[in-house]
Amino acid sequence: ELLRTASCLDLWREKNDQLVRQAKVAQDSRQFLRRQQLAQDALEGFRELLHSLQGLPPAVPVLPLELTVTCNFITVKASLAQGFTEDQAQDIQQGLERVLETQEQLGPRQECGLRGLWDSVLHYSSVLLELLPALHHLAGLQAALWLSTDCLGDLTLLLQTLNGNQSEASEDLLHLLKTWSPPAEESDGPLTLQDARGLKDVLLTASAYRQGLQELITGSLPKALSSLQEAASGLCPRPVLVQVYTALGTCLRKMGSPQRALLYLVAALKGGSPWGPPLLEASRLYRQLGNTAAELESLELLVDALSVTHSSEVPQLFIEVELLLPQPDPASPLYCGTQSQAKYLLASRCLQIGRAVDAAEHYLDLLALLLDDSEPKFSPPPCPPGPCMPEVFLEAAAALIQAGRAQDALTVCEELLSRTSSLLPKMPLLWEDARKGTKESLHCPSWVSAIYMLQGRAWVQLGAPKEAISEFSRCLELLFRATPKDKEQGPASNCEQRCMSDVALQQLRVAALISRGLQWVASGQDTKALQDFLLSVQMCPGNRDASFHLLQTLRRMDRRDEAIALWWRLEAQAKLPQENAARSLPLYLETYLSWICSPDRETLLEEFQTSLLEPCDP
Amino acid sequence: MAGFAPRVQYLAGFRCPLGGLAAGKPRVLCHGAEIFVSTGSELVYVYDQDGRLLTAVYRFPGRVWHLELSTPRRALYALCAQKGIYCLSLDQASRSVSQGAGDDRDADEDDSEDSEDGEPPCPVSPVDPDACILPDATLCAFVVLDDMLITLAQGPAQWKVQLFGCPCPGEDARPPGQIGEVELSTSSPPAGSLGEPAAPHFLPVLCCASPPGCSGPRDRLRRSGGFVLERALFGLLFGVDASLLESPVVLCGLPDGQLCCVVLKTLVTSRLAPGDPKALVKILHHLEEPVVFIGALRTESPDMEDTHPDCLVALGHCGRVLAVRASWDEAGAVAPELQEYRLPGPVLCAACGGDGRVYHSTASGLCVVDLARGGAPPDPGQPDGGPGSLPSLLCPASLGVCSVVALSVLSEVPAGGTRLLALSARGRLMTCSLDLSSAVPCPPQGPVENTGQKIKELLSGIGTVSERVSSLKKAVDQRNQALACLNEAMNVSCVLLASREGPRPISCTVTTAWSRAQLRDVLTATCRVQNGSGFSLGRGWTWCVQVLTGSRASDPDPAGSATTYTIPVDRLGPGEQREVTLTLGPSDDGTLDLPVTVACALHYSLREVLGRALASSDSLEDPSLDGCPPDMLPEQEGICLPLSDHAVDMLQCLRFPGLASPPAQAPSLLGPTGDPVDTFLGACLGPRSEPAGPASLRAKFLPPSVATIKVSAALLKAALGAGQPGDGDPPGRSRAPAGCGDPSGEPLSGQPVPGTPCCRGASAEDGCGARCPELQPTRPPCPVSPPDPGQPRDTAAGGADAAGPAEHRRPSELVRHGRAAAAGVPAAAQPQPPPGVTPPPAAARWPRCTWLRWASPPWSTGAGPATSPAPGIGV
Repeated sequence: ELLRTASCLDLWREKNDQLVRQAKVAQDSRQFLRRQQLAQDALEGFRELLHSLQGLPPAVPVLPLELTVTCNFITVKASLAQGFTEDQAQDIQQGLERVLETQEQLGPRQECGLRGLWDSVLHYSSVLLELLPALHHLAGLQAALWLSTDCLGDLTLLLQTLNGNQSEASEDLLHLLKTWSPPAEESDGPLTLQDARGLKDVLLTASAYRQGLQELITGSLPKALSSLQEAASGLCPRPVLVQVYTALGTCLRKMGSPQRALLYLVAALKGGSPWGPPLLEASRLYRQLGNTAAELESLELLVDALSVTHSSEVPQLFIEVELLLPQPDPASPLYCGTQSQAKYLLASRCLQIGRAVDAAEHYLDLLALLLDDSEPKFSPPPCPPGPCMPEVFLEAAAALIQAGRAQDALTVCEELLSRTSSLLPKMPLLWEDARKGTKESLHCPSWVSAIYMLQGRAWVQLGAPKEAISEFSRCLELLFRATPKDKEQGPASNCEQRCMSDVALQQLRVAALISRGLQWVASGQDTKALQDFLLSVQMCPGNRDASFHLLQTLRRMDRRDEAIALWWRLEAQAKLPQENAARSLPLYLETYLSWICSPDRETLLEEFQTSLLEPCDP
Repeated sequence: MAGFAPRVQYLAGFRCPLGGLAAGKPRVLCHGAEIFVSTGSELVYVYDQDGRLLTAVYRFPGRVWHLELSTPRRALYALCAQKGIYCLSLDQASRSVSQGAGDDRDADEDDSEDSEDGEPPCPVSPVDPDACILPDATLCAFVVLDDMLITLAQGPAQWKVQLFGCPCPGEDARPPGQIGEVELSTSSPPAGSLGEPAAPHFLPVLCCASPPGCSGPRDRLRRSGGFVLERALFGLLFGVDASLLESPVVLCGLPDGQLCCVVLKTLVTSRLAPGDPKALVKILHHLEEPVVFIGALRTESPDMEDTHPDCLVALGHCGRVLAVRASWDEAGAVAPELQEYRLPGPVLCAACGGDGRVYHSTASGLCVVDLARGGAPPDPGQPDGGPGSLPSLLCPASLGVCSVVALSVLSEVPAGGTRLLALSARGRLMTCSLDLSSAVPCPPQGPVENTGQKIKELLSGIGTVSERVSSLKKAVDQRNQALACLNEAMNVSCVLLASREGPRPISCTVTTAWSRAQLRDVLTATCRVQNGSGFSLGRGWTWCVQVLTGSRASDPDPAGSATTYTIPVDRLGPGEQREVTLTLGPSDDGTLDLPVTVACALHYSLREVLGRALASSDSLEDPSLDGCPPDMLPEQEGICLPLSDHAVDMLQCLRFPGLASPPAQAPSLLGPTGDPVDTFLGACLGPRSEPAGPASLRAKFLPPSVATIKVSAALLKAALGAGQPGDGDPPGRSRAPAGCGDPSGEPLSGQPVPGTPCCRGASAEDGCGARCPELQPTRPPCPVSPPDPGQPRDTAAGGADAAGPAEHRRPSELVRHGRAAAAGVPAAAQPQPPPGVTPPPAAARWPRCTWLRWASPPWSTGAGPATSPAPGIGV
C-alpha cells in the first residue's frame, strides 16, 4: 500500500513538473494563439491532476504536492483570466479544508470563511512542518487575491499570522509584507510556476502602488509620495514604472514642486509605453505653469501617442504586478482616455484660450475621426467624461464661426440636424402651429435651439441679416415653447442631464434675444430691437450685456428718462459682487456670449454718464 | 388553417442524438445555393441546394454552439464549446473537401437520401486546430460585423462583451487585436465551480443593429445576422450619440432576460482607459425569461425613403414577446412605443420575415404572428399619414410543421410568399414555402363572404376540441378508478403484510371431509376465506388454491403435481367469507397420495385494473402525458399474497365404517367436518356446553361413555411401509377403514366402551415414530354430513359454522400422522374443479406473480393456528 502511494505520488509529481514545463514553453512561444492554446492545455492538465489528487482522502505525505498543484493551477488560471475571481477563492478554500481534514478539525470552523480557515491551518502548521513552504505559497496567492479585491483587513491579519504575530503592533501593510519571509522551497520539491518569494516581491510593489495611488486621490500627499517611491524602488515592470513615475509627477505637482514633477515625467516618458499618462500629466503641469504652448504641444503629442494601436502586450503566465493593480477610473490621475478624447481636449483648450483657427482645425479633425466611415479605425467620442456628441458639434460650429469660417459652421450645423432629424419634433408642423397661433408645449432637446442660434450667427457673419433673423426667431420660438425634455425619457436624456442646466438655458434665451435685437438694430428697426432687449433684461435682470444693449437703444431712441433709470440700476449692480463667477456654461455658449459682449462696454458707459447725465445736472 | 399549409420539402437528414436535437444551439445558414447546418454536435454540414446533395462535412474540435458567415470575406466562423472561435475560408474549404472526397473514397454524391440514415455520404474533413482565431473557453456567443468580431464571454460573475478586429481566415496566427471590452452587469451570476464550467442551458443571443444611410458595406448586415433599423427607432433605442456617430450597436439578450445594448464606436477601451459599464451599456428591457431571439421587421408598408425595419422584436423562451417601435405623439415628438405580448411557449427558435411576420417554433409546431396587420389601419386624419400602432394582441397561426429547432428565412417572393429553411428536432433539413397572401386570420379582416367559411371552420374546430375533451375526460375517469382500485389493493396488502403474528385479518381455513359422490367416497377439502379486515376485496382480486399432492408437497419444485384453482373474488366486503369445496382424491386408480398440501393465496392482477386505463392513454397523443404504456407493464402483472398452507395428512382422513356409512342427509350439529377424532372431542365438549335438555341430564346422571381409539402401530407401519399403494394390499381390506385396527389386527370397533376416559401414551416402538393415541370417545359420533362439493357456501348468509375441529390442537401435543392405506380408499378421479371454479390452464401453476412472502410463515407447518385448546380429556 505504501509502495503504491509512493509510486502514485511520483507519478503525480512528474505530471505536475511536466505541466509546469509545458506552461513555461507556452510562455516562451512567440505565436500568440499557439501560446494561448498551450496555456489552456496546461490549465486543463492542472485541473485534472487536482481532481485526481482530491479524489483521495487527504494525507499529509501527499498534501505538499497537492497544495503546490493548487498553487500552480490558481496561478495559470488567474494569469489567463487576467485577474482574480471568486473561483480562485474557492480553490484556496478547498486546499485549506483538505489540510484541516487531516487534522480532523473540519466542521464548525467552516462558517468562519477563509479568514477562519487560515487561522486554523496556520495554527496546525507548527505541527505539519513539511506543509509550511506550500502553505506560504498558497498564502501568497491568498494575499494577492485579497489585495486585488481590496480586502485589506483580512490581508493584514493573514500577514500578521504568517509572521508569527511578532509584529502584531504593526498595522502597516507594507511593513508586514517586508517582514514576511516565506521559507525557501526545497530544491527537490515539485516545480512551481512562481515561488512564494517571487510572489512576495510582486505583492510588495503592487500594494505600495495601490496605497500610494489611494493616498494621492484622498489628498494625503506626503504619504502618497513615500508609498509611490517605495513602489518605484521595488521590483517594477517598465509599464508599471511609467505609471508610478506619472503618479509621482502628479503628487509633486499637487505639492507645488513643478520642477521635480517634470523630472519624474521625463523619466516616465523615457520608460516607453504607455505614453499617454505622462503626456496628459505634462499638459496639466504646463497649464498650471501657464505655459500654453507647451501645454498644447503635450496634448498634440498625446493625440499622436494614443493613435498608436498598442499591441496587446502578452501577459505572463504568473502573477504580475499589473494583475493586482486597480483599473483606473476616469477620476484617476492615470486615466488618459482614448485618442478622440485627447483630440477633444486639445480642440477645446484651443477654443478656450482663443486660438480659434487651431481650434477649428482640431474640431474638424475630431469630427472626421468620429464620423468618417471610410476608415475602419475605431475611436470613441469624448463622452462619457466629456460633453455629449451634439455639444461637440456645437463647439465645432462655434469654433468655425470664431475662426471666420461661417460657411463651414453652417455645414456642421446642417449635418447635426440631418443626422438627428428623425429624433426631433417635426419642425414644419411647429412653424405651422406658430402661424395658427396654437400654443402647445413641446418636448425638444435644448441643443436644437442652440443650433439655430449658431446658424443665425453664421448668417450674420455672412452678411445675410434676413436669414439670421429668421434663424434667431426659430431659436426663440423653440426656447420659449419647448420645455426641456424629461430627464428620464427620450433619446437625448443622457446628453440633457449634462449639458443644459437652468442657468444655461436662461443664458441661451438671453443670448438669442440680444442677437436678434442686434440684428433689428442693424436693420434700423429700433422698436423691435427695444422689445427684444427689454425682454432679455426681464429674463435676466443681472445680465450687464442685456442692460447695456437696452441702454444704448433707449439712448438712440431718445428715451432719456428710462435710460437714466437703467443707468442708475447698472451702477448699483456694478457695486454688487459679481454673481456669475461660479456659473459653468457649455463651451459653445461661453464662446457665443463673448461675441455679443461689446469689448468697450465700460468706456461706453463712461460716455453715457457724461452725455446722459450732464444735461440733467444744473 | 386553410391558408397556411406550407409546402414542405425535405432536403436532407442529419445524425441527431437519441432524444432529438435540443433547441438553442443548432443553426441553419444560407449563402447562395449553399446551406450550412450545425446540429449542435461537432459536425457542420454544407448542403448544396442546386445539386441537392451534401457537399462537405467539417468536424470541429468541439461542439459547435454558433455559426456565422461573413460573405465579404467568404469565411465561416464557428464557436466551439469550451474552445473558442474557428474560422474557415469558404474557398479553401470547398477546395480541400473536393480533394478529400477523391482521396478518401468514391463518394456517392448523387444520392442525398443516403444521408437519411445519419451516415454522411461525403467524408468528414476535420478542422485544423490552427484554424482557431480566438481561443477562449468562456465564449458563449459571437457575431461578425464587417471586419469586427464581437464576442460575449461568460465571466465568473458577469458577462463580458469584447470587440476585436477580425482576423482574416488565411492570415498568420496573430492575436486578434482587441479594441474594447465592457462588462454587462447581471444580477444572477452564471454558476462556476472548480470543475469544468457547466455548459449553459441557454446561450445568450447577440446581434448587430445599424443605422441606415451608410451605403455599401451595410447591406451585408442582413446576411451576417444583423439588421438595419430605421433612423427614428435607432435613435430612440440607442441614443443621439449612436445616431450621430452612425455606429453599429450590438444587442445582447441574456439568459436572465436582460436586453442590453452597447454602441460599438464607443467601445474602445484599453488597460489605462477601461470601459465604464454605466456609460457604455444601456439596458433596454428585461424580459424576465431567457432571451432566445432578437430580430427586426417592418410593420409599415415601405415608403420611398425608408424601407428599413421599424420594429425591434425580442422573444423570450417562455413566449414573452417585446416589440418596440418609434411613434410620434400629438405634439410631434418622437417617443418609443413598447408593447409586450405573450405567446404560447416554450419558443425554440424564431426568425423575422418580411411584412411584419415573426416565425417561431414552439413545442406544438411552427407558428407565425403578424405584427403589421394586427394594428389598426393607418389613420388618415393623422398628420403626414403617421404610423399606426402595434397590435394589442397577437394570434399565432400554426403552420403545421412540428419541432423545428433552427430556422432561417431564405428568400421572399414579392407576391407575399416566403421560404423558410428549417431544421427539425429529428435532424431533418427542410424548406417550407409559405403563401401568406391570404392574410393571417387574426384579426379577421377578410371580406364578408369569407365569414361563412370561417364560421364553419371554427365550428368544426370546436367539434374536434369537444370530442377530444370528452375522450380525455373518459381517460381521466378510468385512471381515477384504477388509482382507487390500486389504493384498495395497497391497503389490503399492507394489512396482510403488517400482521405477521397473531390472527391475520384475512384468513383462510381448510377442512377436510369424506363424502359420497357418484357412488364413490371422495375426500373433499373445504376452503374458506374470511375477510376480517376493514377493506373489501374488489375487482382484480383472485383467490388461488393450490393443491400439492403427496411427497412432492415438500419438494421445492412442485412441477406437475400441483393443481391450482383460481376463484375470482367478485366482491368480498369486510366481514364476509367465501367457501369452496374441492375434491382431493382418491384418484381414478384409487390412490390417495397423502399428505396433500392446500395452499391458499390472494392474487391481484395489475393488468386487469390498469390495462384499460393505460390503453386509453394512446388516445391522448400528448407525449408529455405518457407515463407507462401498457406494453411497459412489468411481465409479472400482479401481486400474490400467500394466506395459508394447510397440510392434509393421514389422520384427518381416518374413516370409521360405522360412521361413514350412514347417509349424510341430516346435517350434524358439529358441522360437515367428518374427522372422527374431532367428532369425539366435540362430543366430549358437548355436555359441558349444554346446560339444559336431556343431554345435560345424561351428563349428570349417566356415567360418562368411554371410547377408545386404538391405532395399531404395526398396521400403520405396514401401511406406511407399503409405500406404493395398490399391489401388495390384500383385497379383503379394501373396504376396511385404513389403519383402524389394533396390533392384533382386530378392527377397531369404535363402539362405546364404558369406563373413564383415558389416554395412554403410545409406545414409540413403531418405525414411524408416531405416538398412537388411544382415545376413548364417550359417545358415538354423530353422522357426518357430506359437504356439498363445489358449492361455495357463503357463511355470512348460511350461518356461521363452527371452526373445523381439525384446527384444535390436542393438549397432549398429539401429532396425527398417518397414511391412509391406499387400498382401503376408493379410487378417486383426478380432482375435478367444482362448478363455478375456473379450471386452471393445462400446466396449472401459480400465476406468475410477484410473491410477497413472509420470512417464515408461522402457519406453514400444516397445523392450523391454535385457536382454543381443547379442554383436558382426562390425561
